[in-house]
Amino acid sequence: MEEKIKIEVKNFSFYYAKSDKPALKNINMPVYENRVTALIGPSGCGKTTLLRSFNRMHDLYHGNRYEGEILLDGKNILADDVDLIDLRSRVGMVFQKPTPFPMSIFDNVAYGLKLRGIKNKSELEGRVEKALKQAALWEEVKDRLKDSASGLSGGQQQRLVIARALAVEPEVLLFDEPTSALDPISTSKIEELVVSLKETVTIIIVTHNMQQAARVSDYTAFMYLGELIEFDKTDIIFTSPKKKLTEDYITGRFG
Amino acid sequence: MKRFFKLPAADIIFALISFSAAFTILTLIFSTILVLYNESSLAIHKFGLLNFIFTVDWDPVREVFGAAASLYGTLVTTILALSIAIPVSIGIAIFLTEISPHLLRTPIGIAIEMLAAIPSIIYGMWGLFTLAPIMADYIEPALQRIFGDIPIIGKLFEGTPMGVDLLTASIILSIMITPFIASISRDSFNLTPDIVKESAYALGATKWEVIRDIVIPYSKLGVYGGIVLALGRALGETMAVAFVLGNKHQITPSLLDAAATITVTLANEFTEADSDIYLSSLFYLALILFLLSFTVLAIAKFFLLKAEKHYQR
Amino acid sequence: MTLVQRRKLKGYIALTLSTLAALSGLFWLVFIIFDVLRHGITALNLDLFLEDPAPPGIPEGGLRNAFVGQLLITSVATLIGVPLGVLGGTFIAEYARGTKFARLISILSDIMVSVPSIVVGTFIYAILVKPFGHFSGWAGAAALAFIMIPVVLRTTEDMLKLVPWTLREAAFALGASYFRVIKDIAYRAAATGILTGIILAIARVAGETAPLLFTSFNNSYFTLNMNEPMASLTVTIFNYAMGPYEDWHEKAWAAAFVITVVILVVTVVTRSIIHWRYKN
Repeated sequence: MEEKIKIEVKNFSFYYAKSDKPALKNINMPVYENRVTALIGPSGCGKTTLLRSFNRMHDLYHGNRYEGEILLDGKNILADDVDLIDLRSRVGMVFQKPTPFPMSIFDNVAYGLKLRGIKNKSELEGRVEKALKQAALWEEVKDRLKDSASGLSGGQQQRLVIARALAVEPEVLLFDEPTSALDPISTSKIEELVVSLKETVTIIIVTHNMQQAARVSDYTAFMYLGELIEFDKTDIIFTSPKKKLTEDYITGRFG
Repeated sequence: MKRFFKLPAADIIFALISFSAAFTILTLIFSTILVLYNESSLAIHKFGLLNFIFTVDWDPVREVFGAAASLYGTLVTTILALSIAIPVSIGIAIFLTEISPHLLRTPIGIAIEMLAAIPSIIYGMWGLFTLAPIMADYIEPALQRIFGDIPIIGKLFEGTPMGVDLLTASIILSIMITPFIASISRDSFNLTPDIVKESAYALGATKWEVIRDIVIPYSKLGVYGGIVLALGRALGETMAVAFVLGNKHQITPSLLDAAATITVTLANEFTEADSDIYLSSLFYLALILFLLSFTVLAIAKFFLLKAEKHYQR
Repeated sequence: MTLVQRRKLKGYIALTLSTLAALSGLFWLVFIIFDVLRHGITALNLDLFLEDPAPPGIPEGGLRNAFVGQLLITSVATLIGVPLGVLGGTFIAEYARGTKFARLISILSDIMVSVPSIVVGTFIYAILVKPFGHFSGWAGAAALAFIMIPVVLRTTEDMLKLVPWTLREAAFALGASYFRVIKDIAYRAAATGILTGIILAIARVAGETAPLLFTSFNNSYFTLNMNEPMASLTVTIFNYAMGPYEDWHEKAWAAAFVITVVILVVTVVTRSIIHWRYKN
């Protein structure tokens, strides 16, 4: 089966503000459509820095610089004329800690839709319900949509945040260590969710937990000190890695 | 308290001394209320509570005193000052947290705090000699030209613009209370976690949308606390207002008229009171003001404490 | 206009308004300070500090009595207010830390910090002026002390609480009594903060007028006797500014200039010290 490339990273380097040393050095890698790609590596290897480049989060902070290209469906998202609001409609993000907004459950999920000018009540309700069902949260909250989101448990909040990201129907969803603040049961629920979502969305997930990467991803990229060391199908990375560094990391010799 | 008695002598003595010092706070509050009540009792017995609050007359000759005019002035200046100060202060807080370049934040923050440090009598003097003439010669006539003919609203701007009136007093008051609201709001805004803001940006929100939909609602307890605190301060402000209000005991719909507040009445008349009932009525006003501002400040503290707890989650 | 363009436009307008708000805040500050400087500096001369007031209407003399009176009243207030405030703050930050009593005192002090200062004046009048039949410098000092105590108490409490508990534990482990721990460790570590808190409190009461209006009242003559009514800079400014003489207005501006400059300099310097010292 032909794997379609959704995102292509080409000779990509990244510099934080006021720094001459690149945080990311000359990354080249594909991200396949409707697959889960995991970014793994020890702390400080640049996996989160790379992830945050896909939706240009770095632009929020003055002085950061990109070099090279990141192509989404063939078009470079790092170009100066790219509309960030449009980019972030297509590429969504879920963060390490659940970040519910100070509003009701319904308003949280509907937030992205309202920003895009969708006012029709029944349309909003329909899309909110769909997103909550996709995030496997609907049953638990359907009777209390007007309640404040802060009343939910950590695992529920994270699924709420996922629903919120899904509501705008993104093509790509970025997960930045989404289960690091959660208990084991919530963690496995989120992992199931990630696997089920790949049918509709392309997923890139950063995780410091190798077992998680092995469980949920189809492809894995191992990074070290800002460089991409090895990229391959997850099975291969974890059973017969080609680089010694990769093997050392997998077997726990460092990081 | 159990651990108290296991302490050596030096500790017991020091603890007792410092305890008494801490206790003075309670002493001060209770004795203030008691003494003020005692001094007002003559007036309380003669005029009662509701009657005193709603009587407009303030006549030392006939010995009829009512708080209504003073209360009216207090409320109008305070509410008007807040209406001006709140949007401006929130604007300043937004500027300091989201717009201003990092290097400017501390100097501008210090500048705002300098506004708070200027003694109120300086505001008063400046108001009398600089602002009042400007109001009388330019701003108030302009307001009369623009709004004078509109029904109802026109009533707000009736009368000869002298500059010494409710409007000028409210403007000065608003400048004075702005630093309070601005710095508490700024501190509250800064407590919004970065990743919550980033989550909103990740959904495609613009900077203003993040401020409006995320930062401000997230900080609302702190902002309320700041506003109510400013209200408490405004209620008790004397010198800034005393120069430019005129101390006329009347209830007037026009903002361009002189009026009175409790504080200004006290400042101007306390040493002039020539009869027991006159002095007692003034003490009555002081008691009402004390209890009113104490309550408001307690509410402010309540909001600020709730905000603290909320952010620690 | 597309939706996105409209959203961005709304944003630009809102953010521009916020910037204007900040600029207007700065504008008032500059305007007021500039005005005080402009008016005050013309009337500023050495006589202001060395001469006592001339009879009303005669454009001579100075405000020596007011400067000295202000210093005396503020100093006495400090001598009363600071020890009570520091000791009180120490109690609730140390011996009573975590108790309901400490919390109560802390909350009540916070409220008292913002209570109308003119009401304080009426209270002191009732207990220190009326029973004695005359105004006095002591009453003025008492009124200012009343205001200082909660201010100093709260800053002392905050500064002591910033000192890490582990520092105290280390001293306890060496066998020191709590009193010694407070004296040698906690106070020493919090010294800068407590001192700047005291200085800010003094700056605050030095600018107060209302509490002095019917406690120390006013005195056209020079006196060092605290038992008499005493002139203060702030009350003098009030009286002179409201008075009919041009000369009085000038002097009021000069006095206002001195007070403003002193208080602003003290405030900026101490707040900068706090900012650098506690810049975590």
